[in-house]
Amino acid sequence: MQPHLKRAFTILALIIIAFIFVRSLVVPESFGQYGWYRGDSVKELRNLTVNYAGSISCGEENCHENIYTVWVKDRHKTVNCETCHSPAQKHVLNAREPLTPADDSRDYCGKCHFKRISRPETFPQIDPEAHGEDLRCVYCHNPHKPWFD
Amino acid sequence: MDITRRDFTKIGCKIIISAASGTAIVESMFTKGIAAENPPEGYDWEKHFWGYVVDTRKCIGCGMCASACKMENEVPFDEEVYRTWIERYRVKKTINETREEEVEIDSPDGGIEGFEDDIPAEEIKKAFYVPKICNHCDNAPCVQVCPVGATYTTKDGVVLVDYEYCIGCRYCIQGCPYGARYFNTEKGTADKCTWCYHRITKGLLPACVQACPTGARKFGDLKDNTSEVKKIMDEERITLLKPDLGTKPKVFYIGLDREVR
Repeated sequence: MQPHLKRAFTILALIIIAFIFVRSLVVPESFGQYGWYRGDSVKELRNLTVNYAGSISCGEENCHENIYTVWVKDRHKTVNCETCHSPAQKHVLNAREPLTPADDSRDYCGKCHFKRISRPETFPQIDPEAHGEDLRCVYCHNPHKPWFD
Repeated sequence: MDITRRDFTKIGCKIIISAASGTAIVESMFTKGIAAENPPEGYDWEKHFWGYVVDTRKCIGCGMCASACKMENEVPFDEEVYRTWIERYRVKKTINETREEEVEIDSPDGGIEGFEDDIPAEEIKKAFYVPKICNHCDNAPCVQVCPVGATYTTKDGVVLVDYEYCIGCRYCIQGCPYGARYFNTEKGTADKCTWCYHRITKGLLPACVQACPTGARKFGDLKDNTSEVKKIMDEERITLLKPDLGTKPKVFYIGLDREVR
């Protein structure tokens, strides 16, 4: 073989080896494990912290059993505890960790129950001007058992 | 020494073959250890395929979903970026000569603080809320455009972002026809709804679904015949957003108006 060709082939071979070496260093181990992405990122995203514990964890183990049994039978059962009482996972893991107190202002109830033209007509709504004389709703309505019977 | 065309081809082929096999050997050396391990421990993603249903007839526009999402996923609270948000559509009574409807569409702060009635009720023909969220398309444009493989669809049908690999080029934000992606200034990467992947793989519901007080949002497994979402898919009349784009969304809407885009 002619020497200049030999040199060219050697350089080419070196470049290929260098490419393989650098690639093995740069590309993360799990890249391509499941597809054209870093497989470990699935694990990372799975291990993010949960903040909302779910209502069931409020009612168990004699913690808030009484209020839970009231709530779970009434019409506000579709509103989960943490919707008003703020995310509670930290509090579930450590009871000393306090929750943000629930907002019991008129406006907070109004977020769902003030009359709005865009809301479905069947949904219970009040006209804030005409109903309740600007009193806080919780003055008459128990948020855990909102209907009189 | 002269080199013939035949010799040149022979040597060239030999080099290419040896380089290719060398690469394969090196690759297999480095990837052997992890290839055998099955993904997310305690959760088999082959057995699930997630779907989402939005019943717009039930949405009251309270904004609990959007704020729960921000709290669960640590989305910057003071910035106008949302993984899920609520839009309000108000079709006005004024019909001009071309019989075109005049529609007001707004979403103040993503609907987190609710909506005020700022147009008199007499002027409005119909009004409704439409919750929006990432559609987790089967054929996702955002995944196609990513130049570095930082966004992908998992085997259980969720489109995710690899925050370590994302270079923040924002192509995906441009590529999403639903406007579901945003730029997270804290992370310096693109970001989006994950359907709360850290929750659903542990058997919990996504934060927005849990927070919805009226059941307008539903989430479930399309591979599970007893799930509510699967039942709705089988029995209700469902619509998709922008089906003409061929993105194959997995958020199914009930009761959408023709004005909704």
